[in-house]
Amino acid sequence: MLEVDRLGAGYGAAPALWEVSLAIAERELVCVLGPNGAGKTTLINAIAGLLPARGGRIVMDGRELTRAAPHRFCASGIAIVPEGRRLFAGMTVRENLEIGSYLPQARRERARSLDYVCALFPAVREKLDHAAGSLSGGQQQMVAIGRALMARPRLLLLDEPSLGLSPAIVLAMFDAIREVNAAGTAVLLVEQNVAMALDLAGRAYLLEEGRVVAEGPPAALFDRPELKRAYLGHDPVR
Amino acid sequence: MNLPSGTLLAQSALSGLFIGGLYGLIGLGLGLSWGLLHVINLAHFGLAFLAAYVCYQLASVGGMDPLATLAIVVPLCFALGVAMHALLMRFRVSPLNSLLATFGITAIIEAGIQSVWTADFRKLESSYAAQKFRIGELFLPLPELLTLAIAVALAFGIWAAMRYTDLGKAMRALAEDAPVASAFGVNARMHALLLAGVCGALAGVAGVCLALTYTLTPAQIYAWVGVVFAAVMLGGLGSPLGPLAAGIVIGVSEALTMAVASPSWAPIVSFTILIALLLVRPGKT
Repeated sequence: MLEVDRLGAGYGAAPALWEVSLAIAERELVCVLGPNGAGKTTLINAIAGLLPARGGRIVMDGRELTRAAPHRFCASGIAIVPEGRRLFAGMTVRENLEIGSYLPQARRERARSLDYVCALFPAVREKLDHAAGSLSGGQQQMVAIGRALMARPRLLLLDEPSLGLSPAIVLAMFDAIREVNAAGTAVLLVEQNVAMALDLAGRAYLLEEGRVVAEGPPAALFDRPELKRAYLGHDPVR
Repeated sequence: MNLPSGTLLAQSALSGLFIGGLYGLIGLGLGLSWGLLHVINLAHFGLAFLAAYVCYQLASVGGMDPLATLAIVVPLCFALGVAMHALLMRFRVSPLNSLLATFGITAIIEAGIQSVWTADFRKLESSYAAQKFRIGELFLPLPELLTLAIAVALAFGIWAAMRYTDLGKAMRALAEDAPVASAFGVNARMHALLLAGVCGALAGVAGVCLALTYTLTPAQIYAWVGVVFAAVMLGGLGSPLGPLAAGIVIGVSEALTMAVASPSWAPIVSFTILIALLLVRPGKT
């Protein structure tokens, strides 16, 4: 479904990504691991159209997106939960979800999508008319995931959804991600929480200094020296 | 100091209300552009005056009904607003530089007006100007009433559009985080140009209202800048209702100051209010 071929991207003069290639099939749950500064967020932002690609190709369903305008990415079935959530803080939760379903095909399904999101995250239903900026971190993360789901994506991009959240909320979040994936949406997950991410993912890529250094099923990757090196000294889960 | 009569005070408050409505009407497009497009558009004043002169020309010379000129003035100003913003986007002008760039555009518009209509005073003579309503001792002139009604209708109309339509919500989302809004399919460029066109059209409406009520001369463009900026900053950038409310507060306090003290005190009032409120609630404006 998604093919990324030798993608380059970055901020300012410094490239953060060199020739990263990866592929995601329908319904897959793929995880991108790597230490801070490895280029994970740059990668996921480039795939979502938040950041222009500087080289290589992004192809979705055989259609090239690399040079497309940012607002074209969503129409091809990609939706992002960006790093730090980036909700529209001054708007209500409901309005945030409505922006998620801005495109015509998603707008037609808006009522059903809203029910789906509220069923997935019951806490969101109670906060629909609150300003998004007034919610707790965990609730904001749920809204951010909800906003992306409102777009009815076939590929959901998640950038560190567990960052700064309490362990109980993290567990609920990962359950929800599993459920979304089981319902047929492919997921590309960037996560610091290695053990949980590898538990969830069918396949993983290891990114280091803007390059893919290893790829494979979680079990195989878990024992790779690259992973140990990348995370040496801290294992955030246990 | 002698206190003026109750009737004079009431009539002053009323005229303050009317001019406050015009402050709010001019400030509406200025504030939307500032808050949502991040363009501090001094040319908004130039555009309003250009619209006023076009209205004057069509009505005085062409014999059109002044309100009917809206059908020509509004689309014209919409197009000029779009073209101007396309130019600013083309050169990626920052908010502070937009102040300078649009000041330059205003100077060009002023020179253009001067070369076409000269620096002489121009007054639109219309059947509206003669009509006054009377409530008790108070006079309500029709042009001022129309201006206030249009200002209130447009401010509430835009408030409702921003709150209840997908288009308006998309505009607010773009103002908060344009890249994320784009990632959900909102075409940032198209929306920005559309909003700039709407701001231009609002300048056009304000211009027609100016022509209905005021004697026009090119240098008057700058006379409105200070007090309308104060109304926009008090009312909140990007808020459709704020500048109108703030404009009316400023207009009424100015008019009462003129009645109680002397006209030369009026400008002091608006800026004292602005500074006082900026001290009380910094960061809110």
